[in-house]
Amino acid sequence: MSYRGVTFTYRGPGGDADRPALENITLDVREGERLGVLGPNGGGKSTLLKLTLGLLSGHSGEIRVFGLPPEQARRRRLVGYVPQRNEAELRFPLSVRQVVTMGATVGMMPWSVPSAQHCQAIDEAMRAVGVDILATRPIGDLSGGQLQRVMIARALASRPRILVLDEPTVGVDPAGQQQFAELLGTLHARFGLTMIIVSHDLRTIAAGCDRVACLSRTLHSHTGPEGLTPRVLAEVFRHDVAAIFGDIHVDAHAAATCHDPSHSHSSPATPVVTPTISATRPGGPRA
Amino acid sequence: MTLLAEGLRIQEWLSDPALAEMLRPVVITGLAIAVLCAPLSLLVVLKRLAFIGQGISHAAFGGWGVASILAGASASGGVLVYVGDFAASTRGQLAIVFALCLLAALIISWLTHSKGSAKSRSLEPDTAIGVVLVASMALGAVLNRLAANPRPWESFLFGSIAECGPEDAYVALIAVGAVLLVLLVARRGLTFWAFDEPASRAFGVNGRLMSALLMVLLALATVVSMRLVGVVPATALLVLPGATALRLTRRWGPAIAWSIVVALLGVILGLFASLELDLLPGSSIVLALTVLFAIAPLVARVTKARA
Repeated sequence: MSYRGVTFTYRGPGGDADRPALENITLDVREGERLGVLGPNGGGKSTLLKLTLGLLSGHSGEIRVFGLPPEQARRRRLVGYVPQRNEAELRFPLSVRQVVTMGATVGMMPWSVPSAQHCQAIDEAMRAVGVDILATRPIGDLSGGQLQRVMIARALASRPRILVLDEPTVGVDPAGQQQFAELLGTLHARFGLTMIIVSHDLRTIAAGCDRVACLSRTLHSHTGPEGLTPRVLAEVFRHDVAAIFGDIHVDAHAAATCHDPSHSHSSPATPVVTPTISATRPGGPRA
Repeated sequence: MTLLAEGLRIQEWLSDPALAEMLRPVVITGLAIAVLCAPLSLLVVLKRLAFIGQGISHAAFGGWGVASILAGASASGGVLVYVGDFAASTRGQLAIVFALCLLAALIISWLTHSKGSAKSRSLEPDTAIGVVLVASMALGAVLNRLAANPRPWESFLFGSIAECGPEDAYVALIAVGAVLLVLLVARRGLTFWAFDEPASRAFGVNGRLMSALLMVLLALATVVSMRLVGVVPATALLVLPGATALRLTRRWGPAIAWSIVVALLGVILGLFASLELDLLPGSSIVLALTVLFAIAPLVARVTKARA
């Protein structure tokens, strides 16, 4: 996947014609890589996601997804999308399996019925995220974490080559975030998927990604998680980083580590950056 | 109306061949609109569009007013004679009312879904519906007042068995066929969009098309229901069957089946009460549906206990 000099400006009364939402983004994502896109609210993360999915047009520069324009890649079901989980109508009387099936069958002709291959993909997706035992449960009965797994299964059911996750850990507690990072690792190992994880949450990004793109209208850095120094974070978030992410300590190698007395362990997968959000985090707006 | 004023009972309607012949299109139209509205009512309830149904149905007032004005145009001579004759006919009235309902539905959809990022320009649905609803009613009242031959409102508001003829039955049957065909063809995209609209676009569903499609179907259902049950109760047929079904089951397939059963029961009981007690069919059908809605939890408890 590649972005070459991508600039996008929202037009119309809601947009600011003089200030692009994204400016001159040049970025490559290797096949099988897990890219975290980190940045403040309003920093262009969602815009980058929508451009990647081909949901926005009118950008300058070039975006290619497996060599195709994003719209074509979407039509060929190369990209699977996991939305923020709180946007679905959970009162719908649908079972978990019916929701996952939607991901596999939504583009089918009206007269077609799901083939054995479709059913296999649906079963495999549910097993991979551990919701196969919930197959007949109404979707409205699930916990937040279970629902998130169902949404991932729905995306996987179309057998995509790229999985795009939008703010996947909003409202998830630290233990849930850790489990989520492990789940992403499992899916990555099992399906060899390229992943793009968009978040403003440092823990999610640091624990589950190979590289991180720090985005605040422009691309501030594109490095491994070890490159997330307090200086970089402060530049991206334009704020006191400790006030956003908790009590951050800088080690001798100028890499960021965060210390939270209640979560003092470090993940072996991310020995350098283990940010945690303190319980006493200020409630004010993020930069 | 004359027949109803004589206080005929259902046995008399059925035993007299001439009356049975008159009753047939009423029953066919009633059952057809039940099947037409039931599946749509599930989407209306689950997508929280109940108030949109009100906005669309009240746009019929505007259509009624436009038809009244155009019907008087035939006196002007020339090509307006044809326009006036068309507007005075049943088909013409239905076509004009449908056009206004559709226009109202699309205006509501447009006001609430502004393009691109211009979220600040879009209105909340209740505001958009409030604007369209009162504007349509006011337009209808003004135009009907200005018309050469103002029409009575009662049958338009609450329906009329006497005014429901074979032509209405044919229209209702064609509309049922068309709506069920569209729902069958668009079922996957429509269900995905209704369940998870923000994500559906990323899965290739055209949200604008789905929204417009649903609005067209709602406008069609409202207009077809209008002749028998009237404008105001037509909205109830687009809410109560779905709301009742969701009290009875939490499964998608059974919910569709229950909504159809409830709508059919409501129409049958309502028409029966209308004939027996000389009531306006619209209000008796709504009351029957409301009773079914009220007892649904009890039925659900009994069926669950038996299972």
